[in-house]
Amino acid sequence: MENRNIKRIQELSKILLEVGSLLMASGANSSRIRITIMRIASAYGFSAELLITHRALMLTVFDEESDYFHSSLKRTSPHGANFKMVSGISRMSWRIVEEGWDYGKVWAEIDRLKSLPHYPRLIILATVALAGASFCRLFGGGPVEMLITYIATFCGLFIRQEAVKKGFNAYLCIFFAAFTSCLIAGSAVKFQLSVNPEHAFATSVLYLIPGIPLINSLSDLLEGNIMNGLVRGMNGLMIAFSIALGMLCTILIYNI
Amino acid sequence: MEWFSFLEKWIWLGFAAVGFAVLFNVPVRTLWVIFVLGALGGSLKFVTMKLGGGIILGSFFGAMLVGFLSIYAAHFRHAPPFVFAIPAVIPMVPGAFAYRMMLGIIHLTGDVDHALYGQLLDETLNNGLKALFVLMALSLGVSAPMLLTRRESAKQIKVPLKIDGLIRK
Repeated sequence: MENRNIKRIQELSKILLEVGSLLMASGANSSRIRITIMRIASAYGFSAELLITHRALMLTVFDEESDYFHSSLKRTSPHGANFKMVSGISRMSWRIVEEGWDYGKVWAEIDRLKSLPHYPRLIILATVALAGASFCRLFGGGPVEMLITYIATFCGLFIRQEAVKKGFNAYLCIFFAAFTSCLIAGSAVKFQLSVNPEHAFATSVLYLIPGIPLINSLSDLLEGNIMNGLVRGMNGLMIAFSIALGMLCTILIYNI
Repeated sequence: MEWFSFLEKWIWLGFAAVGFAVLFNVPVRTLWVIFVLGALGGSLKFVTMKLGGGIILGSFFGAMLVGFLSIYAAHFRHAPPFVFAIPAVIPMVPGAFAYRMMLGIIHLTGDVDHALYGQLLDETLNNGLKALFVLMALSLGVSAPMLLTRRESAKQIKVPLKIDGLIRK
């Protein structure tokens, strides 16, 4: 009996770590990761304890009957927001509780969630560029500025995706994107292409703002996960620094 | 004219939220909800600012509206509330303040004469503090429903029956 139970615990901790690291990589905050993992563990009748850090998760699963501990550690993959994953895992955790899924079903669902496609690249580029143009409008820009922001955002995001594909450092990718966007929007300021080109220049990098790291940072701090909050906040500041560096380079080039 | 400009802002706010939602790869079924939430939250922020509330209070009210509505949305679109709330509040994230602060810090390292230095320091500090406090307001606003109901999951929050019935129809 003991052997089978041990196998079960080991298999469960593998699932829990996979779920946790997927959530961490997809941009969930610490308390959501903890709650989801606890929910799944208690659905299978075990208690779990979790140490969450930015780049690794440590988990102990405990079976009270046989007094058996199993600890394991897993590195989290590089971060990239993917809310389809978060939403899918949250639904899965509730169905595990309510329908009593076995491990095979859980692994199948995790594989299915992993294989879910992202939006087509052109649609991402077009909508994010539209969001940039919207920002420009909200800051008080006119049609010409909106068009400039649209093009700047489109090209900047394209460069960022290419740089990510080539495997550059994450902050360097953002620097490249900010530099490209500002280079395009800055030309409007340099050559006075419209009435208020500054609006286009200021809003052309807004698609890069570290929204998820910063909001997650503050919500982690609010819930008492001070360490995670600080790490996430620092990550957000690094991203803001990369954006500023990209802007600064174009300001120096154009001398504006 | 006033109303027309308000309506126009509404649309742009919605598009800004949807742009980020697509970047974050949200499920397709949640997209239009995010459009509405982003537009409503942003509008409330602008109204508050127009009434003299300042950007921090405005962001707080806007985020709180988004937070409460996201609980309703979670119940009838079946996704965790933060999938709706985060893309909807991202347009309110003080990105411009954050990178202006960074630009200011970079400028401060250069050789600036004394009078200019003071002014630059003023602006940098002001931008940085605004960014910090707007962010605090946003995350407090978004998590307000959870904090007030003292629940761990939105599933345990009972949505008033009337609205539940409306959604079921």
